[in-house]
Amino acid sequence: MTKPTIGDLLNGVATSLRETVLPEMPAGPVRRQVQVAISIIRRVSLMWDKTGPYLYADNKDIEETLQQVCAILDGVESNGSGAAFEPLRQRLHAALAQRDNRGVEYPSPGALGVRNLELQWLLIEVQEALQEPSPSPGGVEHPGSAERSEIMPMLLGLFRRMLERELEVTAPPAAKQLRSC
Amino acid sequence: MREQAAAVEAVIARLKELLRANLHGVRDIHIDNVAPITAGNAREAWEFDVRWRDRGGEQTVSCVMLRKAQAGQLETELIPEFRIIRSLWGSGVPVARALWIDSDGRWLERPSFITEKVAGATDFLPLLKPEASEISRALAGQLANVAARLHTVDWRKLGVDFLPATTPETAAAQQIAYWETLFRKHRMEPHPIMSAAFIWLKEHQPTAGRISIVHGDFRFGNFLYERDRINAMLDWEMVHLGDPVEDIAWAYRSLWSPERVFSLEEFVRRYTELSGIAVTSDNLLFYRLLGEVKHSIISLTGARSFMDGRTRNLFLADRASTVTSNLKQFMDWLPD
Repeated sequence: MTKPTIGDLLNGVATSLRETVLPEMPAGPVRRQVQVAISIIRRVSLMWDKTGPYLYADNKDIEETLQQVCAILDGVESNGSGAAFEPLRQRLHAALAQRDNRGVEYPSPGALGVRNLELQWLLIEVQEALQEPSPSPGGVEHPGSAERSEIMPMLLGLFRRMLERELEVTAPPAAKQLRSC
Repeated sequence: MREQAAAVEAVIARLKELLRANLHGVRDIHIDNVAPITAGNAREAWEFDVRWRDRGGEQTVSCVMLRKAQAGQLETELIPEFRIIRSLWGSGVPVARALWIDSDGRWLERPSFITEKVAGATDFLPLLKPEASEISRALAGQLANVAARLHTVDWRKLGVDFLPATTPETAAAQQIAYWETLFRKHRMEPHPIMSAAFIWLKEHQPTAGRISIVHGDFRFGNFLYERDRINAMLDWEMVHLGDPVEDIAWAYRSLWSPERVFSLEEFVRRYTELSGIAVTSDNLLFYRLLGEVKHSIISLTGARSFMDGRTRNLFLADRASTVTSNLKQFMDWLPD
């Protein structure tokens, strides 16, 4: 059974509350609570079925970017900065290996969400490992600077795509109109 | 309705206790016209009139009581807010007259303070209407005057040592540290983009041109106005010593910006003429970016309070969804 969808139901509930409950309520804090509740229900009605595809696309994009980060770190394995990045490199390889052996063709939004959190933490680890240290005496280039200048634009590009993707789900044009009301 | 009446009775009884302890040599204390006036996100507000008799005869004062909410979108103390309002009274910065404080909730259940009521409205939505553009423009100009006055107040003479000390070199770092601590405490997911934002901010800290009293939430919506006049600046809960440019950047966040009727350039020009304080583009950009992070963390704090069941205020329930657009703005403003 697909009809009514969860979105249809939530939208119907929001409409009923707005048309039958709200007009009976006097102005004040309780009425404002109900107005906010209606807005939230309407917003959820627009995004409830987009969470799974959104998380799937987000995870895929993060994993692909982290693969590229891994490739850069693999290339510097033998020199000094490579040693400093070794724990991160190993963590990335281990985490990215997991994506191919889960054996689930259609992961649930819950499972995708758990994976998304894992990947978010990895992105933080990468940034912390690459964080620019204080300038070294004599202006000598710090080990890892070359990797940082290659990886950081890659991460910023990923972050921009992540935000665009998230905005499409959390603030679709219809939801923006609702919020401005 | 019965619950509301009981709540009012309870407030009256508690207020009388507070006033008996604070008003010496008076008799016949009466409290009338008690009513809740907002369902604020950080505090609850009540208005009332208080009457008493002393040697001068009958006295009447219309008051507003701000009481700390059980949980909200900010973790702030009421004491510095009360003290800064009291300190600024008579300084030329429009504030309400601070009257009494219950700093530990001994009388009023929760930390609370009382000021004299100031006439006016706070709602800025009517000001966004095209027919209100002249009034909005006048108010934005006055906001520049208020900023200039606030930021040139000699705070050393005011005795505001209850605000943490700072220097031009450390002002930005202190703000970053404050908001990053809150972020780490209240985030409900890792937020790598926020972490990237903090890294950028730490690497681009500007030196402040001077140290001033910074309101911290300086914007449309946080002052009482009557027609085209600002009567009092409100909501001082984020007050601190810091770079005055922070207030200007915050006033022009898109959510409440008067840009449509009074451009940022015009605001800065007027502000600098009045205050002598230069607003450099580096400092302005830094604090605009910090503002997006700050607003995100305020939202995360509110959402976390709701999710933890520490508040049932639905205004806070969905606040985390605003973080994405704030961070998008942050990324859009990042220089290449």
